[in-house]
Amino acid sequence: MNAHIAGMGWVTPLGTGLDDVFARIHRGEVAEVKSVTNPETGRALSCMPVPMKFVEALSRNPRLRRSSAISYFAVAAGLAAQADAGIEMTPEVAARTAVIFAISDGGAIYTRKFYDQIVKQGANAASPLLFPETVYNAPASHLAALLGIDGASYTLVGDGSVGLAALHFGAQLLTLGGIDQCVVVGSEECDWILCEAYGEWRLGGSPLAEGAAAVVLRREGRWKVDTHPGVTFFRRSAAGAALERAAHGVGAGAETDWVAAGANRTFVDAIENAVLARVCPQAPVLRIKHALGEAPGAGALCQVVAAALSGRADVLVSAVGLNQQAGAARVVRVG
Amino acid sequence: MPSSPATPPRRVAITAMGVVSPLGWGAEVNALGLRAGREAVAAVTAFDVSRTRCKTAGQVEKMKSDECRKSKRLHPASRMLMAAAREAQAQDSGFVPELAVIGTTSGGMSFGEQYFRAQVAGTRPRERAAWLANYLPQKAVADALEACGFSCPNQIIANACASGTNAVGHAFRLVRAGLHQRVLCGGYDALSEMVFVGFDSLQASTPEKIRPFDKNRTGLVLGEGAAVLALEEMESARARGVAILAEVTGYGISTDNHHLTQPHPSGIGPRQAMERALADARRAPGEVDYINAHGTATAFNDGTEGTAIAQIFGDRVPVSSTKSMMGHALGAAGAIEAVFSVLALRGQFLPPNINYAEPDPAWTLDIVANTARAARVRCVVSNSFGFGGTNASLVLEGA
Repeated sequence: MNAHIAGMGWVTPLGTGLDDVFARIHRGEVAEVKSVTNPETGRALSCMPVPMKFVEALSRNPRLRRSSAISYFAVAAGLAAQADAGIEMTPEVAARTAVIFAISDGGAIYTRKFYDQIVKQGANAASPLLFPETVYNAPASHLAALLGIDGASYTLVGDGSVGLAALHFGAQLLTLGGIDQCVVVGSEECDWILCEAYGEWRLGGSPLAEGAAAVVLRREGRWKVDTHPGVTFFRRSAAGAALERAAHGVGAGAETDWVAAGANRTFVDAIENAVLARVCPQAPVLRIKHALGEAPGAGALCQVVAAALSGRADVLVSAVGLNQQAGAARVVRVG
Repeated sequence: MPSSPATPPRRVAITAMGVVSPLGWGAEVNALGLRAGREAVAAVTAFDVSRTRCKTAGQVEKMKSDECRKSKRLHPASRMLMAAAREAQAQDSGFVPELAVIGTTSGGMSFGEQYFRAQVAGTRPRERAAWLANYLPQKAVADALEACGFSCPNQIIANACASGTNAVGHAFRLVRAGLHQRVLCGGYDALSEMVFVGFDSLQASTPEKIRPFDKNRTGLVLGEGAAVLALEEMESARARGVAILAEVTGYGISTDNHHLTQPHPSGIGPRQAMERALADARRAPGEVDYINAHGTATAFNDGTEGTAIAQIFGDRVPVSSTKSMMGHALGAAGAIEAVFSVLALRGQFLPPNINYAEPDPAWTLDIVANTARAARVRCVVSNSFGFGGTNASLVLEGA
């Protein structure tokens, strides 16, 4: 398959500028960890939110007036990638542009609020304004509307590897024809219920984070990207072999001169370190989730953006999800 | 690589399928239910509906053989998808997928609900680990793959009510283009309180019977279920000597950015999806023998879909919504209805649109009213339209 990155954008807890945020990560800066409280138990939890000032302008858009943060982040990253790729959206271009949206936990804030109303006030008190925003593809719908895209729109859901699955899906659509480009976006928002659940399930790890990343895929561009469909694993003991297969599947090896890793201070780190030591032991590794936190729907695409910004010639992006797949992509600078 | 214009496109065979719906477990039972026009909508038993307008849904009966210890910990969505996948595998044991493409809208939502209720109650029940592990949409897919001994990668599409059709359609395109030889595709969704109340809050669901395309329709009722189809490049399937159940020949998708929950009233979204699917299949509207409509029985959906069908097909093609019998299974609906379409092709009958009393004067359609019809069925269009303006149509043909 022939896919290239022609434009990028991201919204992170450290900011939104491509080079600026990358430089800060590279310098070792870490986004601020904030405390959120479980109102039911009073328990303090940690997360890395995106300051709303980064997406404030979008709140005035009528389409987004009832939306949750996840849609704001997705649209902001998508618009930035669209501008970076120099897309002028005419009706003809719009019809030949697809949206691929990666999501992991969905519109958690509105979902929790809506169910909270059901539990505490009764089903008859649940607000019809909240429910539509709980649907997984609501951000993709806003994204398509605000970017002016009316070609195909697909939302993919999955674990922390879903961003790479979405990238592969985009490459598939380009190969299948009928479109000239696709905007691949991953996004995540934080809520106390997610912080509680992830904390309990993973037993630690990088704080849950917010953010979004977007890449515009075309048949030509500044970086060639080799994608992989992912390798399914059913238990954690098989995750290392799965990642190694995915890494080899995109051609990682002696040529690899940098790695944008998915390490998130959980069981993933040891698995990934062992695989990288076998596949590309010579390559320096950047673990961006140590700086930006773990935003499952957005994280892998943030790694892809970091890979492209690294200035290196041949970068491996690796991701081990929590309970679905291991994925990999290879980002190669063109020219 | 995709076919060049000089190369005829590869044909895509359906070699096996499995289905679990409120009509029953397995394709055979579902075919009997469709032929009988059986109503499988009943009072909701899974959660409290005393404060909702709508009180009914299509619910899948529990299966007794499901009581082993591991299976009990799984979400009902996993159990349904596992059963559908195993049914398909039993039909074609030589089918080993290279990829699975599965649609859903809410994964194991009811486990998330229980986790939240425990937080509110300030309790830490032992089951919470299983709730967390089985809540996310990928878990049911992993369970089904593992149950069949498949280790292929998976793509999970969450395009609201069009998810199942999108999954079948994307799998079809991948096989036709030669990117994969065998793809398992389908969809699943289990009834949950949150989604049930959500549709109720929008007043999209009805306290009455579901009456698609009827002048006096008042809304949808929800359903649940799972279905999978095994898609394989035709020559490869023939070389294996496996029975060909039907072919997928066309797929059309459109995006209507009009509103998050409402289609453009002109019907342009459904119309484009159907026109694109027909063009993809190289079929004229007159060659279609049956339309399995999205037909949710809401004023908006049936209004736009009915308009679009009338514009493209006139009143020449019989139309029914099988949701009238089992409710709307959301992310599973498109996959279940693809299986129903194959059953119609193989059984040479048209499933009925039950609870139909009075035609809507907005269009003239040949509704398969209340009882199944024997008919020559060679080509079927199956529609799914979802929140977010996602519209998808499939063309399926007899083998």
